[in-house]
Amino acid sequence: MSKTSNINRVDGFAKVTGSATYSAEYKADGVVYACLVGSTIAKGRIKSIDTKKAEWAPGVLAVITHLNVDKPSGYQKPKDKRNFGQSLQIFKDDSVLYYDQPIALVIADTFERMQYAASLIKADYLKEEHSTELHKAADKERKIDTDKGNDYHRGEHDGYKNAEVILETEYTIPTEVHNPMELANIIAKWDGNKPILYTKSQGVEGTRKSVAGVFDVPVENVEVHSEYIGGAFGMGLHTWPYEIAALIGSKKLNRPVKLVLHREQMFTNVGFRPYTIQKMGLGATKEGKLTGLTHEAVAMTSSYEDFMEGTVNMSRFIYNCSNVSTRYRIVPLDTCTPIWMRGPGEATGSFALESAMDEMAYKLNLDPIEFRKRNYAEKDLEQNKPWSSKFLLECYEAGMERIGWKNRKNEPGLLKEGNWLVGYGMGTGTFGCYRSPTSVKAKFLANGDLVLQCSVNDMGPGTATMMTAIGAEVIGLPSENVIIEMGKSGLPKGPTQGGSATTSSVGSAVHDSCNLLLSKVIELASKNVALKGIPITDLTFENGVIFSKKDKSKSITFASLLSSNKLEDFEVENLSKAAEEAKKYSIYSFSVHFVKVLVNPNLGKIRLAHVVSCADIGTVINQKTSAGQMFGGAVGGIGMGLMEALEIDHRFGRPINNNFADYHVPVNADIEKQEVFFVNKKDPISNPMGTKGLGETALVGMAPAIANAVFNATGKRVRDLPITLDKIIETVKV
Amino acid sequence: MKNFQIIKALSASSAVTGKAKDNSSMFIAGGTNLVDLMKKNVVAPDKLVDINGLDLKKIEFLKGKVSIGALAKNSQVAEDSSIKEKHPLLALALAAGASQQIRHMATVGGNMLQRTRCSYFYNTDMPCNKRVPKSGCGAIGGSNRMSAIFGASDSCIAVHPSDMCVALAALDATVLVEGPKGKRQINFTDFHRLPGNTPEKDNTLDSRELITSVEIPDHNFTKNVHYLKVRDRTSYAFALVSVAVALDLKNNVIENARLAMGGVAHKPWRLTETEEFLKGKTVSEELFRQAANLSMKGARGYGENDFKLTLGANAITEALTIAASK
Amino acid sequence: MASKKTNQNKVTPEDSNSRRDFIKKSGLFTALAFTPPTLVMASDKKWDEKIAEYLETVSLSIEVNGQKHNLNIEPRTTLLDLLREQLHLTGTKKGCDHGQCGACTVHVNGTRILSCLTLASMQQNAQVTTIEGLSNGKKLHPMQEAFIKHDGFQCGYCTPGQIMSGIACIKEGHANSREEISEYMSGNICRCGAYHNIVDAITEVKEGGKEL
Repeated sequence: MSKTSNINRVDGFAKVTGSATYSAEYKADGVVYACLVGSTIAKGRIKSIDTKKAEWAPGVLAVITHLNVDKPSGYQKPKDKRNFGQSLQIFKDDSVLYYDQPIALVIADTFERMQYAASLIKADYLKEEHSTELHKAADKERKIDTDKGNDYHRGEHDGYKNAEVILETEYTIPTEVHNPMELANIIAKWDGNKPILYTKSQGVEGTRKSVAGVFDVPVENVEVHSEYIGGAFGMGLHTWPYEIAALIGSKKLNRPVKLVLHREQMFTNVGFRPYTIQKMGLGATKEGKLTGLTHEAVAMTSSYEDFMEGTVNMSRFIYNCSNVSTRYRIVPLDTCTPIWMRGPGEATGSFALESAMDEMAYKLNLDPIEFRKRNYAEKDLEQNKPWSSKFLLECYEAGMERIGWKNRKNEPGLLKEGNWLVGYGMGTGTFGCYRSPTSVKAKFLANGDLVLQCSVNDMGPGTATMMTAIGAEVIGLPSENVIIEMGKSGLPKGPTQGGSATTSSVGSAVHDSCNLLLSKVIELASKNVALKGIPITDLTFENGVIFSKKDKSKSITFASLLSSNKLEDFEVENLSKAAEEAKKYSIYSFSVHFVKVLVNPNLGKIRLAHVVSCADIGTVINQKTSAGQMFGGAVGGIGMGLMEALEIDHRFGRPINNNFADYHVPVNADIEKQEVFFVNKKDPISNPMGTKGLGETALVGMAPAIANAVFNATGKRVRDLPITLDKIIETVKV
Repeated sequence: MKNFQIIKALSASSAVTGKAKDNSSMFIAGGTNLVDLMKKNVVAPDKLVDINGLDLKKIEFLKGKVSIGALAKNSQVAEDSSIKEKHPLLALALAAGASQQIRHMATVGGNMLQRTRCSYFYNTDMPCNKRVPKSGCGAIGGSNRMSAIFGASDSCIAVHPSDMCVALAALDATVLVEGPKGKRQINFTDFHRLPGNTPEKDNTLDSRELITSVEIPDHNFTKNVHYLKVRDRTSYAFALVSVAVALDLKNNVIENARLAMGGVAHKPWRLTETEEFLKGKTVSEELFRQAANLSMKGARGYGENDFKLTLGANAITEALTIAASK
Repeated sequence: MASKKTNQNKVTPEDSNSRRDFIKKSGLFTALAFTPPTLVMASDKKWDEKIAEYLETVSLSIEVNGQKHNLNIEPRTTLLDLLREQLHLTGTKKGCDHGQCGACTVHVNGTRILSCLTLASMQQNAQVTTIEGLSNGKKLHPMQEAFIKHDGFQCGYCTPGQIMSGIACIKEGHANSREEISEYMSGNICRCGAYHNIVDAITEVKEGGKEL
């Protein structure tokens, strides 16, 4: 175990003292308050909008609508195909494309006056018929016209149909909403024609790019600060209309504008995990060998933008099966565009796949893990490549032991503890390991401290702590001597935080830059008179001193090296990329969630008596923060499994539970006993540290684990998430 | 939120007078519901009369009854050792409501006056007869998972969200109020009302009256009591169905029973017929099942909340069983 | 498209009812014996705004983290917005603004409450403790130490509320088991899902037995 493998979060002090500054908390002289007023219909046109009362309300500085907006010049330009911003151009015209679409921006001198003025705005509409129900709009389903949207076939198309044992099932997941605790928020201001944003973004560089596009300014002119992010889970992957609105308002008033969405607007305006219907077809021999697997998904998108995610992807490679077909279709609905939510696609897909695998195991009268082992994929059949590393079997074993799998009965409804029915279930998760080109600057200060700079941000997983740990390890410094500067533009360019790729991308860049820094320091030292004549290979750098490995008396302190070269500090910046070698391998993280549920069949109450989450994520850089992320991913999956669903009143095309009292997420009392296990074996291929990514796979597989355990306890198969109590009591005999 | 004037009342009578002067003024105590509603523009008073300075916070054990001041905090009552001992059902119900922070703020009087959690009531761009008379009921034919199964009308199927009130209804409490015309008492079960054609009225309190205290007569329900709250997560959620049970058992025979449900009607739903049915009978699984079925007589679902018909019966059986086994 | 700027549709003070209504209601009209023309002039020069602003505020004396503040605030200002927007104590967080998440938990006169549902104008002479009032420079409160040690957070946004609630949970006597802690901490939502570690942190502080 290395010295840094269990360090505390480096931003912990700031977070527990309230001194961590989130976007809307920056002090900006002369800041004024803004909010967005949303449409009260789901589709149509604005016939008229009465802003007069609002304009005359005390303290109001501006009311901006499509009628008086100075449209950003980029609105006229053709959009990039891959736009980091949203297609919806706020205040562009009178059209209403979804319920609560912003139709006015109200700015006032105080928060209270702004809120009140906003309540005075009234609009009349020309309503058009809206469509918000996926089940009723299936006739509009279509393929996305990109490579990723293509159907996939391996072997015989829909080969499962020829199998000895066939399972055909359908699963749905409802719309789920990210709902980070911090509301979407921004302080926008302008320095001449340079936009400055303090905003909740998962990608500083992406936000710069999209803002530059909208306002038609050079990317370098856009300044973005996202130093602390109060969670995002994917909703910060886009630049959203509210951010553009704040910039429009700030430009008009030439003052900093603070705009914080209401919690209600977090459900309607910043994306969500899309409602998805999935059909599974599984075919197997009686001995439990999968011979065919078909996975079809139909997911919602908005009327103005195609959105897709990797819902069916996992089915192509996770099991050893020679006949695989996958299809993905979208249906445009009158809502805001979805956005990737933690474990995007895979979380949705694994619910269908891992539920179906469980159902098939019962059909075959096999233990669900034994069934999976019989179909263990020794290589990635989709890409026809070897795995870089795969310790999924170790995850199964560790989980079975910890959860007490041996106590499980394959026949449902047999186990009881008091009046509770007991059930065990598991679900497998996976997520690809990606690595984006990343620049990191590593700088030694004269006092021996190491500064690491990158524009990447940290929405909670512990990116800064990971950078500290890797920097400290490579350089051989105590972690207290590492200073991280991140989360803002102007620093070496880092990736968007998402797709579980941050440690692989940024960690590698830190690793590479620190190694480069070491070698450059030694190179410089070798030219110094004190070390003259000693080959570079004989020199080493420890505790602020460069010395000869053979003769420690021949040395120079780093401080005097700097002063003799008339330097104040010494820095390198390096762009780090994945090695070509990596392309020969299929690199994935794997996880398995195990749960023991207690079910009261009369009340439909499901208790998660024990949750064990096991993962093969390659090297674990920091046990503490990784465990935290795994605990949290599991809790996210518990929300998905048991309670989260955005309910729409389709008569009005509007969400009806868009608040934290009615849209339930897990609370402390929902979590009883939770454990985490990491295989912690270095991946030889993925990156210099051998990590594979954790954030997404921490959630993937949890929801089916619960559904499978509930079946094991009750004999009731719930194929439509979430598993609320009404779905349990319906058919259980009372 | 609209701005408003705020005045601090120094006595109950001055509070009543202060409020009576202005039709659109309201009393404010804990504010946990009122401030929320004001933020949502569901209510928009011109003036608030802050009654927190009034001497109405005491819990007093008098001869034959306990008097709980209207301004006693929910947590204060829930954790009062004498309340726990003599009125455990009330303590259990209170502890099941909201979160500890809210229980520290919310008062007994305010808890009684909290408005429904029906989404259509809360969202001002939706129809709701309770918020805007004659605008229609959004929940009928809409999202009604939380809605009533008893005593609803074509105008309104909202439920009263309180847990505390379910226990108070079961315990035969009395509400003491003071208004411009003086003081009066209201039986707790008559305090809240059914929606009928006037769902805008939650209760029988005159808009100028102030709740001063709640009294619970002494009783023998100190052991075999249970408050069962069924909800969508383990804590910090409103009840889908709740059941308050109090049994007076002697050698497994029910001498006396009290039973009320929450989350099922526009008011705490007292089940007096079931109480009578249980009286004098010996505890058994079959008896409780019969009691549950009897209790659900007249219940109807509105679609999404049909499950409450089964759940309600099961919850009654479960609550009775737990209470009897204590 | 012809851009119709609503601002240019000149609205006279007579059209706008908000200010004048208020002045009428507040009795200022009679009290100061303004004649109607003076009133119009007052409107033009925005005197009415200033007078109304004054009349619309109430004075508040409040102690936050040991520091006394004498303020004029609107009655509708919540304690949360007062802390964050006027006193720049942004450690207390806004997560829902409707009493549904617990991020805004502070102690008022020693009791944990939700500052988003608390009108500041009703907190005359109250003593408020926020997350900023717990530590003494670099010296952290035991609960803050425990949250760091047990990694009781990720994004950190619900953390101040969790810590304020956690301290109260122990003081109230509701930290006697993991189960009890979980129940009494359920008013504080953590979307990162750090509940397991939050309970660890509170348990350790409780078992440490230090005076909080």
